[in-house]
Amino acid sequence: MGDEMKNSTEESTPVNQDELILAQQRQIEKEISESIALVGELEPISSLNREYSNDEVYLEKIKDLSSKYKNIRRTRPDGNCFFRAYSYAGLERLLDKKDEFKTFYKQAEESKNVLVSLGFQQFTVEDFYDTYMEVLKRIGDIVEVDDAKKTLHYLFNEQGYSDYMVVYLRLLTSGQLQKEQDFYSCFIEGHRTVADFCHQEVEPMYKESDHIHIIAACAALNTGVRVVYMDRGNNKSVTEHDFPEGCTPSVHLLYRPGHYDILYP
Amino acid sequence: MSLENKYNLKSPGVKRLMREARELAEPTEEYFAHPLEDNLFEWHFTVRGPPNTEFEGGFYHGRILLPSQYPMQPPNIILLTPNGRFEVNKKICLSISGHHPESWQPSWSIRTALLALIAFMPTPAAGTIGSLDYTPEERQALAKKSKKWECEICGKIADNLSSQSKSTLNLTHEEASLIQQIALKAEDDTTNKEMCNKPKDDRKIKTTIINEENTLRQRGVSQSCENISEPVADVFMETEVSLNPRTIDQIFTVVMWAIVFVIVLLVGRRFFFLN
Repeated sequence: MGDEMKNSTEESTPVNQDELILAQQRQIEKEISESIALVGELEPISSLNREYSNDEVYLEKIKDLSSKYKNIRRTRPDGNCFFRAYSYAGLERLLDKKDEFKTFYKQAEESKNVLVSLGFQQFTVEDFYDTYMEVLKRIGDIVEVDDAKKTLHYLFNEQGYSDYMVVYLRLLTSGQLQKEQDFYSCFIEGHRTVADFCHQEVEPMYKESDHIHIIAACAALNTGVRVVYMDRGNNKSVTEHDFPEGCTPSVHLLYRPGHYDILYP
Repeated sequence: MSLENKYNLKSPGVKRLMREARELAEPTEEYFAHPLEDNLFEWHFTVRGPPNTEFEGGFYHGRILLPSQYPMQPPNIILLTPNGRFEVNKKICLSISGHHPESWQPSWSIRTALLALIAFMPTPAAGTIGSLDYTPEERQALAKKSKKWECEICGKIADNLSSQSKSTLNLTHEEASLIQQIALKAEDDTTNKEMCNKPKDDRKIKTTIINEENTLRQRGVSQSCENISEPVADVFMETEVSLNPRTIDQIFTVVMWAIVFVIVLLVGRRFFFLN
């Protein structure tokens, strides 16, 4: 009888379904995150086949994809995948091109002041900036390219460093959006200001990236990206899109609904 | 052992907390916060009741629990001084008003959290979990009482804040607009345990997370909690007034047994009569 009573009181209090769903979603996310490396090892494109062994549409598209790319590097699907993948792939490529790396480093050095002048809190921006620069310096100082890449891979799999890189890129992206808010405001849905959008969708961790994030991130880092879309659509080939349009992309990402991985030609 | 030796200083999270501890080392007129001597991931804080509100003249003390993934995950605030606005001994999270707790931003800090708490105190409770809707008079009375409130670790909290007469709150424009957007809300015990990530035990954090039963019992009347390290349940025992499902259960059990007893009595009497 006591139990019945309890049940009925539970029913009468409105259970917040949204929060229940969110809690469950978080649990799933946690399980996923524990099983997949933040940034994985290089794998052949054909490794995608086993995910879609009974799926003709995808198998056809993987075939098309493998005609364009040799390798894939998976990232953890935790909502930060675009930022993590983009930042990793960008730096990995720069390690091969020391001159470009220097330019990038210089630009990064100045980025803090840009953010502070936009009104970001100096105290915390500095915290992320310092770690960001520490990573750039550490990998930049290593003469042997392969060793530098190993260190990059190691740091991007250290949760602390890896997340700090993501946060700083999120801040840079937010800064870019706010710097050119007249332009970006047209792309924001709902009655939100660019600043609101940044506070709600860009700066918090684990928030997934949309086109607008990608466009702004590319502009902020001055690094073009090609996103290859692979979904259930009817056409037999994968679709490619360059950000910004018409650029020569230096980073290639594979997009499957909800997730980004890194591609290597 | 000093904090410097105990933690991995290379960890960005530890570096961040050290940095925040340095930034907040000097008490201001409005707030003061410091990590516990033996635990960088638990802080105690004191805030002054905002002027021109029913909290004016009050001093409010509490704990801040930092998750091991701070600043990627939000800190939890637990108020200890009865205040009439927030339940005491209940974890409160920060988020952007009207949004889910994952809208916490790593670029916010403990200072942001304290400023938001001060700014949020005079806002209507509006039935939010963990909020209390006391009358202005009751809140004023609690504010008055709070001057004498003492923390076992930090002593008399009214002495924790700087007593300069000039305001030291130097809000940047960004901060000022930011703290207006932040809402503080308690965890919903039944649904979202994961929402505010709890610190892991690997750094020997004695967070004494209040268990569900205690928070359930606590719902109802606020009370003075003089001794924070006592098990929370003790403090709440006498103060339970409102009927929560558990007490209703108990009443039903008692009534049921009473009815059974009466029936047995009547049957027995009839039995004896027949004889």
